[in-house]
Amino acid sequence: MEITFAVLLWGVRIAFLVLLYLFLIRVFGSLQRALATENAVAARPTGLAHLVVQRTVRGAPRLGDRLPLRAVNALGRDAGNDIVINDEAASARHALVEFADGEWWVEDAGSTNGTVVNGEIVRSRERLQYGDELAIGRVALRLEQ
Amino acid sequence: MRAEAGVPLGRARFTELSLLVWVAAFAVTGFVAVLATETSSFSPTAAIVPAVFLTLMLALHVFLVGIRFRGDQILMPIAAGLTAIGLILVQRLASDLLLQQLSWSIIAAGAFAATILVPRDLTALARFKWTWALLGVLLLIAPLLPLIGREVNGARIWIKVGPGSIEPWEAVKILLVIFFAAYLEEYREVLSHTQRRIGPFPVPPVPYLVPIVAMWGIAMVVMVFEKDMGATVLFFGIFLAMLFLATGEAFYAILGLTLLILGGFAAYHLFGHVQTRVDTWIRPFDEDLRFDAGFQLVQGLFALANGGLLGAGLGNGMPDRIPVVWSDFVFDAFAEEAGLAGALALLALYLVFLYRGMLIALRAPTPFLQLLAAGLSFIVALQTLVIVGGNLRLIPLTGITLPFVAYGGSSLVTNWMLVGLLLRVSQVSERMRGGGAP
Repeated sequence: MEITFAVLLWGVRIAFLVLLYLFLIRVFGSLQRALATENAVAARPTGLAHLVVQRTVRGAPRLGDRLPLRAVNALGRDAGNDIVINDEAASARHALVEFADGEWWVEDAGSTNGTVVNGEIVRSRERLQYGDELAIGRVALRLEQ
Repeated sequence: MRAEAGVPLGRARFTELSLLVWVAAFAVTGFVAVLATETSSFSPTAAIVPAVFLTLMLALHVFLVGIRFRGDQILMPIAAGLTAIGLILVQRLASDLLLQQLSWSIIAAGAFAATILVPRDLTALARFKWTWALLGVLLLIAPLLPLIGREVNGARIWIKVGPGSIEPWEAVKILLVIFFAAYLEEYREVLSHTQRRIGPFPVPPVPYLVPIVAMWGIAMVVMVFEKDMGATVLFFGIFLAMLFLATGEAFYAILGLTLLILGGFAAYHLFGHVQTRVDTWIRPFDEDLRFDAGFQLVQGLFALANGGLLGAGLGNGMPDRIPVVWSDFVFDAFAEEAGLAGALALLALYLVFLYRGMLIALRAPTPFLQLLAAGLSFIVALQTLVIVGGNLRLIPLTGITLPFVAYGGSSLVTNWMLVGLLLRVSQVSERMRGGGAP
């Protein structure tokens, strides 16, 4: 009786370690799946709409370019943005253009000189209609389908 | 795609739930192992603890599903798993404190839920940055004030509140990360796009160097007057890491580390308590330290050696030979009873926590949220590094808590709030990027 209890106890102790590792493996698995899903969402072909360059400086972006939009787009001077605005008047991370609830939205990402839609400065988050003109620094972009 | 991937889509949080099931499995097994070993001191209340804790975690899950929370599903189960290990170790090492720790975990769960619900707009936190800074510095120096300050085990880091006492530093961590994130978001352009350079180093206008020097000054005050080296390293480390993340200038990090080393060197020569810490780190086995200042560390090292690969088995080791094992040396206790295998699993959990936190930071839409998420995850990582490094005698020992695991209420509550904030940041990114997805 004594021996069986001791053996059982060792079984429980080893089981703790095994279960701890199974939990860890499940955590890694979930992490991997979460990443795969997020990447799938990010890489989903969009062609949802385009920003057409109306006015520009130093040819970056080039006049008349049709820049394809994803579901979420970062705009700014920094090279890491989805749409790079090469103008000193633009902040490193200037604005966000995103598609949510079936609509396009623009949000200022705390830029120094502000984001302007149809001549009016964007306070927080505003709806964008097709044909609206978005100005960041000295660059102007029009939302088109 | 939804069925196979199943992670961030839809309203149910299956990933979280399935991970919590595994937490439940190893938590119950761990409790059984500890209780079965200590049959002599068995009390029925001990059996209630895992049940209450698991119900609590399930309640948090149901709460998140109920408010249709969309955001990370991995951090909460990791925090739950670590808290469960913490409760098992309190049961093992200081069972008279168990109910207290369980109550603290209930409060922590409440604080987590409040963090999820209350700040309606996370970005608005940035607007009150000077309030957070002032509050943080006040809390930081509060233990030095004569009436409310308290010195425990040589460190003056406690304040009296009613019958108990709390460690304000724990709350200060989060306040300061919010402040740093907001401050750096505002000034990082100036700090990183400096024209004046001496050699490879940028030289920003003097006013922008003031905060760095001020932070260093405060850190030194904490080290000298509160005798808390762990807090100093954490406080200054978080600041430097966030400064580097925001500006990408190695110069600031080098400047800060140089200042820290100079300060540490001066403190070593000026203050006895710093000297003792360093001496016990370098030569704990020496005659004069072995049974004196170095006793705790040496007993910890023996515990590690006793553990071996698979450990002595939960409940079967002798970690109680380490003084105050439940607060400063839980890592050694766990490593003794669960072995190298268990200790590595524990460290891996912290690693995943950091990795996930950094991913949340990368995906956050604004610099403030990015810095916030990175700073919060970095707290947990640096804290783990400092205390585990101290326990393993890789660096001088400092009295920092092992996040979620070590006994202590203030620490548990603030760490759960930290998880809540990380989840909120992930929710913002999820809302923005997942716009088109269901």
